[in-house]
Formats: sequence, C-alpha cells, structure tokens
Amino acid sequence: MNSLRSGLMWFVPLTVLLALTPFISNNYIVQQATFVCMYATLALSWNFMGGYTGYPSFSTSAFIGLGAYAGAILQNGGVPMVLAWVIATGVTGLFAACLGYAILRMKGHYFAIGSISIVEILRLIAASWSSFTGGGEGLNLPIFRGGPEYAGMVFLYAFLVLMLVAVLATVLVDRSRLGFGLRCIEQNEDAADMVGVNVNASKIAAFVLSAIFCGTAGAMSASWVSYISPPDAFSIVMTLKVPVMAMLGGAGTMFGPVFGALVFVVIEQSVLSRFLDYNQAILGLIIVFLIFFLPGGLLRSTLFKQFKQRILTKDPQESKP
Amino acid sequence: MDTYIQVLTNGLMLGALYACIAVGFSLVWGVLNIINMMHGSLIILGGYLTYFAWLHLKINPLFMLLIVPPLLFLLGYLLQFVMINRVVARPVLTTLTLTFGLDMILYNLMNVVFEATPRRITMDIGSVSFMDVVLPGDRLLAMVLALALTGILYGVMRTSRTGRAIVAVRMDRDAAALMGIRINRVYAVTFAISAMMAGACGVLMAVTFPVTTNITGLLLGKAFVVCVLGGLGSVPGALIGGLALGLIESLSGNWWGPQNAVLTGSVLMIVLLMTRPTGLLGKAGYE
Amino acid sequence: MRLPKLMGFLSLASFLTFASLKPAFAADDVIRIGAPLALTGGLADEGKKQQVSYAMWAKRVNAAGGITVGGKKMKVQIIEVDYQTDEKRAQQIAEKLITQDKVNFLTAPFGSGHTKVVAGVAERYGVPVIASVASSESVFNQGYKYLFGTLSPNGGITENMAKMFTKVQPSIKKIAILGREDVFPKSMANEMKASAERAGLQVVYNETYPVGILDHATALSKIKSSAPDWIYISGYTQDLVLARKQMADLKITAPIITMITGPAYQEFITALGPVADGVTSASWWHHSAMYKSDDVFGSTQEFYKDFLTQGKGDPDYVNASAAAALITLQKAIEKAGTLDKVKVRDALAATNIMTFYGPIKFGPNGMNQGRELPIVQVQKGKVVPLFPDVIKQGTLQIIK
Repeated sequence: MNSLRSGLMWFVPLTVLLALTPFISNNYIVQQATFVCMYATLALSWNFMGGYTGYPSFSTSAFIGLGAYAGAILQNGGVPMVLAWVIATGVTGLFAACLGYAILRMKGHYFAIGSISIVEILRLIAASWSSFTGGGEGLNLPIFRGGPEYAGMVFLYAFLVLMLVAVLATVLVDRSRLGFGLRCIEQNEDAADMVGVNVNASKIAAFVLSAIFCGTAGAMSASWVSYISPPDAFSIVMTLKVPVMAMLGGAGTMFGPVFGALVFVVIEQSVLSRFLDYNQAILGLIIVFLIFFLPGGLLRSTLFKQFKQRILTKDPQESKP
Repeated sequence: MDTYIQVLTNGLMLGALYACIAVGFSLVWGVLNIINMMHGSLIILGGYLTYFAWLHLKINPLFMLLIVPPLLFLLGYLLQFVMINRVVARPVLTTLTLTFGLDMILYNLMNVVFEATPRRITMDIGSVSFMDVVLPGDRLLAMVLALALTGILYGVMRTSRTGRAIVAVRMDRDAAALMGIRINRVYAVTFAISAMMAGACGVLMAVTFPVTTNITGLLLGKAFVVCVLGGLGSVPGALIGGLALGLIESLSGNWWGPQNAVLTGSVLMIVLLMTRPTGLLGKAGYE
Repeated sequence: MRLPKLMGFLSLASFLTFASLKPAFAADDVIRIGAPLALTGGLADEGKKQQVSYAMWAKRVNAAGGITVGGKKMKVQIIEVDYQTDEKRAQQIAEKLITQDKVNFLTAPFGSGHTKVVAGVAERYGVPVIASVASSESVFNQGYKYLFGTLSPNGGITENMAKMFTKVQPSIKKIAILGREDVFPKSMANEMKASAERAGLQVVYNETYPVGILDHATALSKIKSSAPDWIYISGYTQDLVLARKQMADLKITAPIITMITGPAYQEFITALGPVADGVTSASWWHHSAMYKSDDVFGSTQEFYKDFLTQGKGDPDYVNASAAAALITLQKAIEKAGTLDKVKVRDALAATNIMTFYGPIKFGPNGMNQGRELPIVQVQKGKVVPLFPDVIKQGTLQIIK
C-alpha cells in the first residue's frame, strides 16, 4: 500500500505534466512525451514477465511488430483506426497465449533464446510473405489527417491512456493473487507449485499481459508513422532496450519501469546530440554501470534508500522503505 | 544428383564455419552458464585485425592465425577477471544484459576505429573441382582449418589438466570445487579460450567473407542455433550442430528458396527448444 | 511523503531542462536545411556520401554570397543530425529539425524506407523534402505533395538493359533473377522480371534472399543448374561482393552478369579486384557525362574535378544526386522568390531544369522523370558506360 501511495505521488504529477505538453511546449517535446509514454508501456509490459515472474523475456518486439502489422493490414482493409488497434491487441494476446503454451516450459537461458528467436522468425515471415505483408518493401498506412499539432496531441493522449491502462493492470496484478503467485514462481517454481499456485495458468497469464499492450503500442505506432517494414517493426535493438529500461527503474516494482523509461528517454536525448559517434558505447556503459551498481534498479538502490531515509527522519510515522 | 552433391558439399563447408563460430560460445554457455553477447563482435574483431594486418603490413592472413588468437585469449582473460567474474552467479537476465552492454561498447569502438564498410581480402585461391562438384578454395581451406582447430581444442580439453578441469566444472561445479579445482581460474581460462576461438574464427572469416560490423548480430544468431542443435559446452556438440545447421540451410534453401533457408533453421531451433533443449546429442553428447 | 514530491519535482525539472535544450540557431537571414543522415549504423557509408556532397554544394553557394531570395542574398546552413540508421530516430530527428531547429527545408536520408518515414513527418508539417537516394516507386506512392526525388524510377533501367542486351546478343534466351528482400533491391528484381518477360526472355529462376544472409551458395548452385544466359542479382554492396566472389569460386558464369547496384560504387571494384571485370550494372549517373548547366558547378566535368579534390576517389551517383537535389531546391527557391514553403513546393513541382547531373523534371508523384539512365560495365577495373550513346565509351563485352 505504501509503495503504491509513494509511487503515485510522483507518477500523478508526471502524467499531468506529460498531458500538458501540447499546451506548454512545442511539438517536438510533445513527441518526446509520447515516446516516454510508449516506452513506459513497453517496460511495464515486460515487467509482468521479467520482473514479477522472473522469466527473461525478449519477445517484446515480436508483439510490437505483430500488433503493427495486424493494425496496418486492418486499417488498409478499411477498418477505422481505433477499432484496428483494439483488434490488433486481441490478435497479439491470442498469439501470446498460444506461444506461451509452447515456450513457457523452457527456463532460464533457453527461454531467453526462444523468446528472442520468435522476433527473428516473425521478421523473416513478414519479409517473405510479400503478398500479405508487402515483404521487404513494407506497408503503407493511411496518413492521419489533421495537421501536425492535432496529430501530435491525438497520439500523445492515445499513448498516455495506454500507459495508464498498463499501470492500472500492474497495480491490480501486484495486489492480486496472480501477483502473489508470480512472485512465488520467481522465487522457486517447484515450491510455488507445491504451495498450490497454478503455475502454468499464471505464467501464461503473465505472458499474455506482457504482450497485449505491446501489440497496441505497435498498432498505434504504425498509424503514427504511416509506414512499417519488417526490420523496424521487429527490431532486435528495441527488444533488448526495453528490459534495460525496466531494470533501470526497478524490475518487479509497480512504477519502476515508468521511471526507468523516463530516465532512459532523458539520457538518450542529452546523449544523442552531444556524442554522436559514441551513442552506443555510452549506452553500453550505462548498462554496465546499471548491472554493477544498481542491480535492483534506481527505485531500489541503496543510495536511493539512504536518500529516502534522510528525508523521512523528519517524519517518524513513515514506515521503512 | 550432381546438384545434390554440390548442395550437400556447400552445406558441409558452411557448416564447418558455423561450428567454428559456435564452439567458443558453446563452451562459455555450458561451463559458466553465461550467454556471451559479445561473441559476434569478437569474431569480427579478429577479422578486422587480420584484414588490416594484410592491408597495411602485407601479412598473410593464415599467419595471423598465430597472432590473433593469443591476443584475443588475453582480452578474454582480462574481460573475465574484471567484469564477468562478478556476475557469474547472477540470474540470466543480469549476465545477458551485461554482456549485451559490453558488446555495445565493443561494437561502437570498432565502428569508430575501423568503420563499417565491408572489407575483403582479395586473396583469390581459386577452386578445386572433383567430379562436377566445385569446392571453392578458400572455403575448403577454412573448413579444413576450422576442423583442425576444433580437433585441437577437443584434444586439449581431454588431455590437459586445465581442459579436464573445465570439463569437470561443466559436469558439476560444486563437486569440482570440492575436488580442489579453482573455479574462478577455470572460468577465466574458459572465457579466454572462447575469445581465442572467436579470434581464430575471425581470421578464417576474413579469408572467406567481407568483414564488417554489420554482421556481428548474424554470427551471434548462428551461434545460438548451433548450440541448441548440438548441445552446450561440448566441442563435438558444436561441430555436429554446426554441420547440421549448414546442411539444413543448404537443403532447405535448395528446396524452398533462399528466403526460407534461414527461417527453417530458426524454426527448427524453436522446436528443439520446446522438445529437446539439450540438443541432438543430448546430455551424453558433452565431452 | 516528501520523497515522492521530490521525485515529482525532479521529473518536472528534467523535462523543463531538456525542453530548453536547444541549439541556438538564432540567425534569421540564413536558409536552414535540415539533413538527417545515417552517419553511424548500417548505412553509414552512404550517409557520409550525402554529407560530402551537401558540403560541396553549400560551400559553393555561400562563396557566391548565397541564394537569391526575392532580391536578397541569403546564405545556407546545413543542419546535419545522425539518425543512426534507426527508423524511430529518423522520425524523431525529422520532427526535431522542423519544430526545434526550425529548418526551412529538409533532405531525405539514404534508402527508401527511411526516406518514407522522414517524408511522412515533413508532409504533416508542409515542409518540402528532397530525396536524393530513393528510386522505388513505392516510396512515392503515398500521395505526399511535399516529397520530391532526384532519382528516376527503377523501371526505366531494366527496360533499357533488356532492350540493349537482347539486341547486342540475340542468343540470350534465359535469365535468372536473385533479389534481396528489401525495398529497393526487391523492386529492382521485380522490374527486371517484368522487363525480361516483355523482351521475350524466359525467367528460369526468380527468388529472393533475406536480409542477413551469410552465404549465397545454395541459390547460386541452383542458378547454375538452370544454365541461364543472363544472371541478374540485386542487393547492397556486401551482398553483391559476396555473391560475385562465390560465383567465381563455384565456377558459375554466364554471358551476361548484371548486379544492381554493385559496380556503381567504387567499393565493389576494390573489394573484388579482377573478379569484378565483366559485371554489368546500371546507374543514375556517370561522371563521364557531358552535361553543361547553369548551376553552381556548371558542368559534369566541373563537379567531377571538384569531387576529386575531396580525396574520396571517383564520385558515384549518390554523390551526384545529393548535390543535384540541393541545386534543384536552390533553383526552386530562386524561382519562387520567397522561402514560403507552399510557394517553394509549387516551384519544385514545376521544375524543368538541366543540372550537372542531368535533366530534372518531376512527375506527378514527385519522381524525376525517367530518361536515358547509364548502363555500365566493369572493364579492366574501370567502370565504362555503354549507354546511352551520348556518354558511351565502350561496347558490351560478353563474359566467356
């Protein structure tokens, strides 16, 4: 309860701030805010599988890409944009359920590799099934009508709402039996089974949760850019970056992924313009730093806790972090 | 019929290269339980060193087989001591992410220093023909060397003390520790050997393919598939897995077109992961 | 309770800080041209080619005092940003250049896919964007009004090749086509199939290879067994270098071997050495052309000479097209007499000029109208144009 309240204390102002960007700043900042929402959604999604359940999932891009293609094909077939997003989400969820049934029996490294090869396989299929997916040439989508400021606002709010839904789902799961079950699985799967947790159902549920919002994000993103192609929709770089964001903020916490996504975007922006040639190396260094000095993420780091403690000594009723 | 023999030969030659790509990766995964995302970049590093030695110093690439592997051995040992050793016991996500981060650094540095333009050593050895089947000279050479290196490694693993220690740790870490084996030392040597093999592979690749940082991910991907096919931590496993993958890609490319060759390998890998993750050889295959 | 508030404050602070993180491009009497370029990542080499050409053009223009805009001379400033060959970044950078850096016009990066992404952003804001390296019709098929491209459509090339090769060598009956599954190379493969069939050739092999393949032996062996007279392969430089080398190793040959766009780039010849001889290709421009024009270079020869001083070897069509793109923009600005985006856009649409790169006239979809595109062949390590007659320097050599 406490972490929920303390999380909301900064999450709510952040959300309000993001929502206000079209009115207090220019379109570029609005776009950046949209990216924060999108990345936060992706990180929150990953959190279900990688944070709560402890399964190193790298299939984020598989779901994003699937959602993108589903959304694009539907929209090109005349389905209105928002409905296309909804259906794409459903398609992705269904896919995740079936896939989960197959690969969730793998553990550890094998699961990691299995999940990342799904991304590759889907990319290869999208690239060779040209009659359906446009193949290597990609797919056009109808451009969203109505000026850049309007479009910017629409997509900002779309992603903002998506992020809020993802946060809500996270909070609900965290406090439910499912969340409890997932945490048990993370600690010791066999013990969880013995204690009475329905391990298979829980894992599949977590996997589906980790997929659906990614699917929606993919479909929305496709509508935003008006063009998708296999290597960009099924991007390996993205599928590796998302866990880093979640871990940066704190995997397995409710709001950690959001914070991680925010920090990530800010870093990317400040690094982007200054060290053009060394972007990746710097990102790599951040990752190394993260692993060695912040293993639980920013929200769980000892530095942070000391900081919290010092602030909180003035308020003795506050329970331990 | 002739085409089939050619197809099979192509597959085997490619497969030997795949085996060489994967053997170091497989060792680290099997013994240290770490997926080394840097593996592809290490191979290309070896390739670049070979290329530039050839370009500027006119050193015959084959000679570089004596220079590059030891260099990378040292690099591997260093990396292990400074970085990897600290995270060996941590969960998969941590180690994978760490090596991913390190890979980004290495990749970026290589891009800055060497630039991503595909470089080719123009050392045209020609080809050998044998009853309507053509064997490209450099591929043949690479295959022979790959098999030789793999064979040497296998021999060393079986006979030398360090080699046997590595195998022991792979079989049962705690028992090995109880037997007095210095685990950290074994880890370091294994990682160093892995880097060394990657370097050697890089030298061979420089002779057969255009060298560029663009393909580091591809090479890593092949290593994954070979490991799943052949089983982890064993040299014969990597060999079998590599040859198998080479044959599979060659045959499926022939039957269903090149666009599906890579897909077939990946799908097969997923199927194996689901059904028989220890690989075609199974547990009995290691060692 | 204090801490979360502190974090809220921190988030706010970080946002405001980086909202104000803008390079100060305050100068108002400068024409700002945004250039998203792939300076790192998979397309870095190509991005750098564009970079060199843009710089060459800008230097000449500014040396002459700038572009004349309605009686006043204004200098140009090229604002380059690296988008790291990443689609999402391309979108972000395009948006940033327009809204933060307030560029007047945009150039598009190398390659069809990312050109499309940048064009999408530009279309929303109504900013004219000139693409110097996009030749696939599918890039221009979204009805964008603000996108213009200096490369002519792919189709013209294959038509010319089919006609010419069948005329010079009537015994050619069978063609094998291998394309890379990627926007531009796939389009070139499709065009070749269509043109070949129109010329009465039999297509004995027609497959694609995926992005990220390490080995062509399978495809090539199959091609060999179908004994074609003409082998046609499309892809990017490293694919083609590998394919040509493997062909030589596997002893696969045919009277005509065409690769798009390999030989158009010097890297191809350097990497292959003598094995590159005999390979035919096509391009959008060759430096031996003899165009004379009323632009900052004045003639093809002048551009060629200037380029050689850059120390990067011979210029290829990417270099030329990039410079020509900016020249076209310059002419449109001068004609419109203003920097107003709509008026410049209309002036661009009505372009009908001659440049050192050749004639530029945009069709209704924004592409430079097809014309006689050079067909070349590598002979003794040099690129020799075979067609059209105005630049012809050699005749087609059949590979034995």
